[in-house]
Amino acid sequence: MPELLDFQDAFVAALGGERSALSPWLAPDAGEAGLSVYRNTIAKGCVDALAANFPTVLSMVGEDWFRAAAALFAREAPPTGATLLDYGKDFPAWLERFPPAQDLPYLVGVAHLDRLWTEALFAAEAAALTAGALAALPPEALAETRLALHPSVRFAAFDAGLPSLWSSARAGHDGLELSDQAEALLCVRAHGAVRHRVIGEAETEFLRACREGQTTAQAAERVLTAHPAADLAPLFAGLIADGVFLDIDR
Amino acid sequence: MITAGLGLKPQHYDEALTCDAEGLWFEVHPENYMSAGGPRLAALEAIRERRPLSLHGVGLSLAADADPDREHLAALKRLVDRFEPFVVSEHLAWSTHRGQHQPDLLPFPRTHAALARIAANVGRMQDALGRKVLIENPSLYLPLTGHDLDEVDFLKALVAQTGCGLLVDVNNVFVSASNLGYRAETYLDALPAEAIGEIHLAGHAPDEGGSDLLIDTHGAPVAEPVWTLYRRLIDRIGPRPTLIERDDDIPDFATLMAERDRAAAMLEPVLEKAHA
Repeated sequence: MPELLDFQDAFVAALGGERSALSPWLAPDAGEAGLSVYRNTIAKGCVDALAANFPTVLSMVGEDWFRAAAALFAREAPPTGATLLDYGKDFPAWLERFPPAQDLPYLVGVAHLDRLWTEALFAAEAAALTAGALAALPPEALAETRLALHPSVRFAAFDAGLPSLWSSARAGHDGLELSDQAEALLCVRAHGAVRHRVIGEAETEFLRACREGQTTAQAAERVLTAHPAADLAPLFAGLIADGVFLDIDR
Repeated sequence: MITAGLGLKPQHYDEALTCDAEGLWFEVHPENYMSAGGPRLAALEAIRERRPLSLHGVGLSLAADADPDREHLAALKRLVDRFEPFVVSEHLAWSTHRGQHQPDLLPFPRTHAALARIAANVGRMQDALGRKVLIENPSLYLPLTGHDLDEVDFLKALVAQTGCGLLVDVNNVFVSASNLGYRAETYLDALPAEAIGEIHLAGHAPDEGGSDLLIDTHGAPVAEPVWTLYRRLIDRIGPRPTLIERDDDIPDFATLMAERDRAAAMLEPVLEKAHA
């Protein structure tokens, strides 16, 4: 039934500015305004979705800059599905190539962290490992356990203080300064809402080891080798409290 | 008794959960809940325990010259199974095209060939969900040529061929009639009463671009002429679950409930008459 597809092809071409493609179907009284309405609605849908998913980027660059950039991104990378909850996976990488963003050195990292937060928000539900469940394990069993990360866990490490900067911006503070302290951001949604906190290199190393399927003993050794001053007990207790580990099958 | 309902917005979850209005129900776009998990799904579950729910799809693209997306349909089916809505609806429009999604409800020439394709797509949707769905009339902005059927005849044929029902958006009728130059009353009077399973009411606005077009913004209170058309419709067809839709410039819950209560009050005498 090519005629409906032909029409769709022509309509999409007309949305892109090639109005003549649609002329076989346009009534004589069809002005430019009707197509503009569709064009604007589509752009607004994409831009609103990006604004919802990148609120910290929006707060840093302002409404006008954000909406102009988001509209350009949407034209180059339209959504591929009807669920816009997830739209903008490639927006951070696109900003990295976007010339006006070159003057805003933190922006790409901030976009990346917004994306991590959104992924944590919509990740699958699962029961998190509690301190109580862990305490029930014999110590030798704990050492040999491979703790899996909760499906909502997202973390990313930076060689400067971008996570602190992002956290401040996300909390609505201005006057942001970037420290040169290496940091990581952890996002997790084990107890209803997404929680995020800035973590250090030792915690990041522990999470990486767990993600790679190592046992608790191996993860601890790896942390202590790289960071001999790390205090493992509070580090581990903090991660448990955040709910970063999946409950253990018993 | 299901009377007048509200489009459910995340900022109103708490009030929606505690509101005790009689006959109140809620509607959501399933696309906003197609995630693996998260607090929105949890909130919807809590509200669904207390209220009837309708799933109103905006993204299945039934009027595309392509089969409905399998993953999308499977995700919709999971939501239908989980939330057991009393109505599932979609639009007489398309949004997908060669792997890309345009987040809008786009028009098409209502040809016999389009009817065959769309009827097949509605059939696929109903088969996948194992239930009847309602199809909503679109807002139109562009006068097209090449139609074989007018919109009411097209909808009637769709009902006859698929067994689907209709969701009548009175604001869309008003907006399309104004934009394309026909009488909204004539259109509404010609709709088959027995096929109509739900009614939508929403606000519109003049085109900020300066044209004479009205835009179905869902960003304003329901306009008085739309209330008048609503009265005309329910006087003819009888009571139907009626939704106040608001998706932009969203006011507080109480303001939306006042509009919803107006629809409920208009339904009341019609309900009494229907049960007399």
